[in-house]
Amino acid sequence: MSVPGMTETTEAVARARAGDADAWGELYRDFAPAIFRFCRRALPTREDAEDATMEIFMKLRDKLSQYDETRSFSAWLYRVAANHCWDILRRRKIRQDKETEDVEDVPLEHPDPSQLDKLIEQKTSEEVRHALQKLGARARMALVLRYYSDMSYDEIADALGVRRAFVGVVLLRARHELRQALEGKSALAAGGTS
Amino acid sequence: MSEPANPVSPEGPGGTMDHLDEITCLLYAERQLDRARAQAVSAHAQDCAACRTLLKALERESRLLTRAMLEADEPLPARLAEFQERARKSHQWISGLIFGLAATGVYALYTNFVEPWQTRLSEAGFGGTSLLSLLVFQGAFWKGWQSVITLLEVLAMLTVAGFGLVIFRRRLRRGSALALVLAGLCAALALPSPAGATEFRKGTTVEVRQDETIKGDIYLSGERIRIEGTVEGDVFVAGKDIDIDGHVTGDVISGCQAMRVRGRVDGNVRAAGNNGIISGSVGRGVTWFGDSVTVDTTGKVGETVSMFGGNLAVDGQVGRDILFFGHEVGVNGAVLGSIWERGDSLIIASTGQVGGRIQFKGDHEASVSSGAKLASPVEFTQRERKSEYSTGHYYIWRIIWTAAFILLGLVLFLLLPKFASESVAAGERVGAPIGLGVLVFFGVPIAALLACVTVVGIPLGLLTLGLWFFAINCAELVVGTVVGNWIFGRTTDVWGQIGRMAAGFVLVRIVYTPIAPLHVIGILVGLGIWMWGIGAISLALYKRLQPKVTGSSMGVPVAAAS
Repeated sequence: MSVPGMTETTEAVARARAGDADAWGELYRDFAPAIFRFCRRALPTREDAEDATMEIFMKLRDKLSQYDETRSFSAWLYRVAANHCWDILRRRKIRQDKETEDVEDVPLEHPDPSQLDKLIEQKTSEEVRHALQKLGARARMALVLRYYSDMSYDEIADALGVRRAFVGVVLLRARHELRQALEGKSALAAGGTS
Repeated sequence: MSEPANPVSPEGPGGTMDHLDEITCLLYAERQLDRARAQAVSAHAQDCAACRTLLKALERESRLLTRAMLEADEPLPARLAEFQERARKSHQWISGLIFGLAATGVYALYTNFVEPWQTRLSEAGFGGTSLLSLLVFQGAFWKGWQSVITLLEVLAMLTVAGFGLVIFRRRLRRGSALALVLAGLCAALALPSPAGATEFRKGTTVEVRQDETIKGDIYLSGERIRIEGTVEGDVFVAGKDIDIDGHVTGDVISGCQAMRVRGRVDGNVRAAGNNGIISGSVGRGVTWFGDSVTVDTTGKVGETVSMFGGNLAVDGQVGRDILFFGHEVGVNGAVLGSIWERGDSLIIASTGQVGGRIQFKGDHEASVSSGAKLASPVEFTQRERKSEYSTGHYYIWRIIWTAAFILLGLVLFLLLPKFASESVAAGERVGAPIGLGVLVFFGVPIAALLACVTVVGIPLGLLTLGLWFFAINCAELVVGTVVGNWIFGRTTDVWGQIGRMAAGFVLVRIVYTPIAPLHVIGILVGLGIWMWGIGAISLALYKRLQPKVTGSSMGVPVAAAS
């Protein structure tokens, strides 16, 4: 996974690991906006996203010693953020999971290619973001991990705790939920809660 | 459900197959197929327009998703922008707390072990009974810095100044409006308004001579202050000994060691100090915080006397009521209205006269001489201290109050849902709110009282005290909601939050009620709950006061979705 938009601040990370408070400030300034946006997409409310962002950075202080400096810091940071957000969602949604797990076995309808193309043509980014908020936790998280954090299927499987072979299906179901939400049909969106 | 074993139609590309299934197209578009299957899909797509369209649609969908997610549609919230700064500030709070505790420790040492000093101060005429009076109301305070400032005074004042700097540092550094307001306030205090008739006098001995008439308000400070002339306005006075022999048409606001009113004050007397003697007349009421007040045989107060602390002796006449919290009330003269006292004792002499009800809650029955003229008998209530915990009455009232608090919480959640949520969220961090709560719980009333004695600060001080009191009442609700969230999980739904508040609040009460009678433990737990809650409210308020960040120039990730 690569995240070219985020500045790699290897030096700041090294100083932060050594306990330099200013380096922490630099890391926070560089990465907080992106992590907040990640949380904003993954979690249901703005308040949740704000809380989660702060918690992730607080957690980071403890976890930084585990970071392997030969790898991308931003990618590692997203892993931490993904795990944290997924933990939050999982804790909240455990009851709903039990109620709706059967929905996972409902076969998906094959889309009409031309109608799908037309739907995508008509929708704006803002509408997509709005529709995203209507999705179930796992569907939303899967899309965020893939299309915001650019995680690989292996990393998504690891973050969501599913088999690697199942990731494509999760993403496809998520897209179906999203299309339903974009068309204003909430039934499948609601039913698809992970 | 699992991924299909063969994503491509069983008949294979180039055969008589129908179309590629969607999962195969998605995996192909996302480059997740192995080489052989990817080639098969590619070959099929070249021949099949429908599948080609589907592949293109999926790719467009991926791009749309990436674009929608990466767009910076909202700025970084101010709360997060200031998070790092606040984390740094939290250390300042801790430092301030340590410093404040150090000052308190010094005070404890002072009061317990530095007896000779106290004795000498007392002999020198500075016999205060509390830190506040030592600091503010003693003549020593006003004499000058070089000779009499004690270590304790320095520490206490530095603590107050330190807290002030911590609170206002950001605003002062940013040169914001508050700095201007403070500067304006200082200027208003330091300079007399040229358009008004306000006058300032200070010195060791300050006088308004008998032949003088001051038109407008006057501010006086000094060791010895005497008003023999006429002031057609209010008098604001701070000093050791104050004598009012002349005529004041307005109010007298005072911080002093001793004040004697032998002349005439048409308005109110409001003072904090050791001793007050009224042998002249006060047209309206007297409000006194301090050790003792005597309305002398020749003295007359037109309206109510409200006193907090010490002893009140009424040898002359009080036109209306007496409201008293303190040690002892003695009535030798006339009280034309009622008496409401919470104190240790009430003594009504044979010459005493009370025109209204007498409600006295204390340790001993009131002592009423047979010749006293009372409109109604004394309604005495024995002050119960710890024994109330053993009565059923106490628990019934606990239930009633619990219901009342839940109702208050419900109203607050409905009126201020966002602020209520923010307070609860702040409370969930436990350590920070408790630390801040300690400061707010003790610091705010001290600051408010200090504001009250600085002439212009009375409305601000009273307002602050009112808000502080209200926040204390809300503190337990915040803690209850935090506990409710711990048990049932957080929710953004208002009614869900109200439910958690009610459940958590009841639980806190159930746990706390048996602990409450346990003397020190009960007090500590109660204080802990208050400080936790009030700290959470203060944190939420502090966050609200932070400036909003309008945009972010910080980096964002760029996902390379295929």
